[in-house]
Amino acid sequence: MKRFLFLTVPLLGLLGYWALSQYTLPEGLGKDLVLAKCQACHDLGLVARERLSRARWDAVLDEMALQGLKLTPEERAGILDYLATYLGTTPPPVSPAPTQAAKTGAQVYANCMGCHGPEGQGNPPSFPPLTHVGPWAATEGGRTYLLHVLLHGLQGEIRVGEASYNGVMPGFSWLSDEEIALVLNHVVAWKAPQGFKPFTPGEVAQARAKPLSPEEVWRLRP
Amino acid sequence: MEKLNRRTTLKLMGLGAAALAMGRGLAQQAPTADQLVKGKNAKLIVLSQRPVVLETPYDLLVSQPERTPKEILYIRNNVDLAGYNTVEGASLEGWSIEVGGLLDKPFTLEAKELLNLPQSEVTMVLQCSGNGRSFYQPRTSGNPWGRGGVGNVTFRGVKLKDLLAAKGAKPTEKALFITAHASRQGGAAEFVRSVPIQALENALLALSMNGEPLPAVHGGPVRLVFPGFFGVNNVKWVQKIEFAEAENTTAEQMPRYRVPAIPNTHLPFLPQEPGGRYTYTFATSRPNWLVNVNSFIFAPLEGQTVEGPYVRVEGVAFNDGIVPIVSVELSADGGRTWFKAELEKTERSFGWIRWRRTLYLRSGAHEIMARAWDAAGRSQPLDGNLAWNERGYEWNGVMRVRFTVA
Repeated sequence: MKRFLFLTVPLLGLLGYWALSQYTLPEGLGKDLVLAKCQACHDLGLVARERLSRARWDAVLDEMALQGLKLTPEERAGILDYLATYLGTTPPPVSPAPTQAAKTGAQVYANCMGCHGPEGQGNPPSFPPLTHVGPWAATEGGRTYLLHVLLHGLQGEIRVGEASYNGVMPGFSWLSDEEIALVLNHVVAWKAPQGFKPFTPGEVAQARAKPLSPEEVWRLRP
Repeated sequence: MEKLNRRTTLKLMGLGAAALAMGRGLAQQAPTADQLVKGKNAKLIVLSQRPVVLETPYDLLVSQPERTPKEILYIRNNVDLAGYNTVEGASLEGWSIEVGGLLDKPFTLEAKELLNLPQSEVTMVLQCSGNGRSFYQPRTSGNPWGRGGVGNVTFRGVKLKDLLAAKGAKPTEKALFITAHASRQGGAAEFVRSVPIQALENALLALSMNGEPLPAVHGGPVRLVFPGFFGVNNVKWVQKIEFAEAENTTAEQMPRYRVPAIPNTHLPFLPQEPGGRYTYTFATSRPNWLVNVNSFIFAPLEGQTVEGPYVRVEGVAFNDGIVPIVSVELSADGGRTWFKAELEKTERSFGWIRWRRTLYLRSGAHEIMARAWDAAGRSQPLDGNLAWNERGYEWNGVMRVRFTVA
C-alpha cells in the first residue's frame, strides 16, 4: 500500500502540475459549449484554473450575462453543470488515460465557434467570416499564414470583402499539432481549392518552432 | 515499508523528470509577457492573455522601490484596444474627448490641445482592487493576484478642473458623479466607471507616466486618473467624460468591482461568511473606490537568509492620500509586541511612502509582520480574511514574511 502511495502521489502531483500549466479544460459533458461561449471574450485560462462552488459559478454566469453573454436556459444549465462538476471545489479525478475516439475537425472547431459562428459565417463588426480562407491553402504563403494565425494569434486591421475588422485573435498554441491540422482542414474545406493538400501535424510542428507575435503574423497576410 | 530497490527508484525518478519536462515544455507554449505586450519584461506573470493581465513578480516590484518603471508595471485590462499592446506612447493626433452631461457648457476637445494647458504632476499608487485576492480563503473568482498588482508611478497631464476652467465650463449642482468612458475603437467592448464628484479635486488627464509618453497599453494617449482611487477607476483611453447624477449602471460598476456594505451606508465593508453568495445592489454594496491602508515588506524577502543579528526591515505603506500615514509597526513575535518603523515622510501622499527599521533578531527562523496606521485611525486587519468577499477585492491583511537569520 505504501509503495502504491509512493508511486501515485508524485505522479498525481506531476499530472496536476501538467494540467494546471495548460489552458485546456477537463473532458466532460458540456465542454464544447464552454469553449464555444466563453472564448469570444476572454482566454480559457480564466475558466480552467478556477475552483469554485456551484453557487459561485452560478454568480459568475450572472455576471457574464451582464457583460453580454447570451445563453438559452438549456445552455446555461449545461454550462453550469460542467463548471460545477469539473471545475468545482472537489472536481472528479482526471481519468488516467485519455483513450477517447479520435477527434474530428468539427469537434476542435468548438474552440472557434463562439467568435466565428458555427458555420464560419463570422460576427461583424468584431469577428470576420472564415469561409473565404479556403483558396489560401493552395498557396505556400497562405498556408504559412493560416498556421501562424492559429498558433500565435493575429492583431491588426484586416479587410474581408467590404468590411474591415480590427479585433484581437488569440493564439491557440495549447492545441496539439493534430488538433490544429484537423481544424484547419475543417475550415479550409468550406471553400476547398482544387487539388487541396490537407494540413499535416508535421507542418504545424514546423510553424510552432518559429513563434511569431500577433503583429508579425498580420504582416504575413496574403 | 516494502523496500524499493535502487533500479526502481531510478526509473521512477526518470519518469518524474520526464513528466516534469513535458509539463514545462507544453507550458512554454503559452506566450510570455514580452510577446503579448511589446516592451514588457518577460518575467511578468501572465494571468490572462486576452484581455491582457500581467502581474509583476514580487522580487521585481521590490527591486524598484521608488518608482515602478513601465517595463514591469502590472497590467489589468478589461478590454484590449487593437494595436495598443505596447509600452510605447500612442498618437494624440485625431484623438478627441467629449466632456458633457450635467455641465453648463458641454464641449469636445482635441487631445493635443491638452499640451497647451498648464501641466500638473502626481505620484500615486496604482493598485488593482483584486491585488492580494489569492490570500482569501476559500478562493474567490477572478485573476489570482499575489501582491504584484500594484505600482508607484508619476503621472503628468492636465487637471480636469483646469481644463473645465480653461473652457469656462462648470458642473451643475446636480452633478454628483464623474463617469468616464473608454474608447471603443476597433469594436472594443464598452468600459465605463463612475467616481464621486469629490474626485474632481485631483482628477488628471494624464499624458505621460514616469516622464515618458503614457504607454499605449496603460491607457495612452490620454488616461483619466484619480489619485487615491483603485486602478479600475482610472479609465484608460478616455474618450468621453460625463458629469452625472448617479453612478453608471454598466457591469463594471455593478455588480463588478464592489464589496458588500451595510445597506445605504457605504461603510467600509459588511463582514461575510466566507464562501457564500451575496446580492449586490447599489444600496447593499459600495464600489472599489478609495485605496485602503496597506503596507508591504520589501526586505527581507520570503525564504531569504540574511545576516544577523541586526536585520534591516524595510518596505512601503500607502492609503487614499486623504490623511497622512502616521505609523508603520513591525512585530517579530506574532503581534504580541510592536516596534515603530522610521517613515520617509509624514505628509499626505498619493504615492507610497518608504519605511525602515533595524531589528535585533537571534539566528534562526523568524516571521515579521508589518502594519500601517493613518491619521484617521485606519489600519490593517491581522486577519485579512475578515473582509472576505465573493470576488476577492480590497485585500489589506497584515503582510507576514518568513526568513532565516544566519
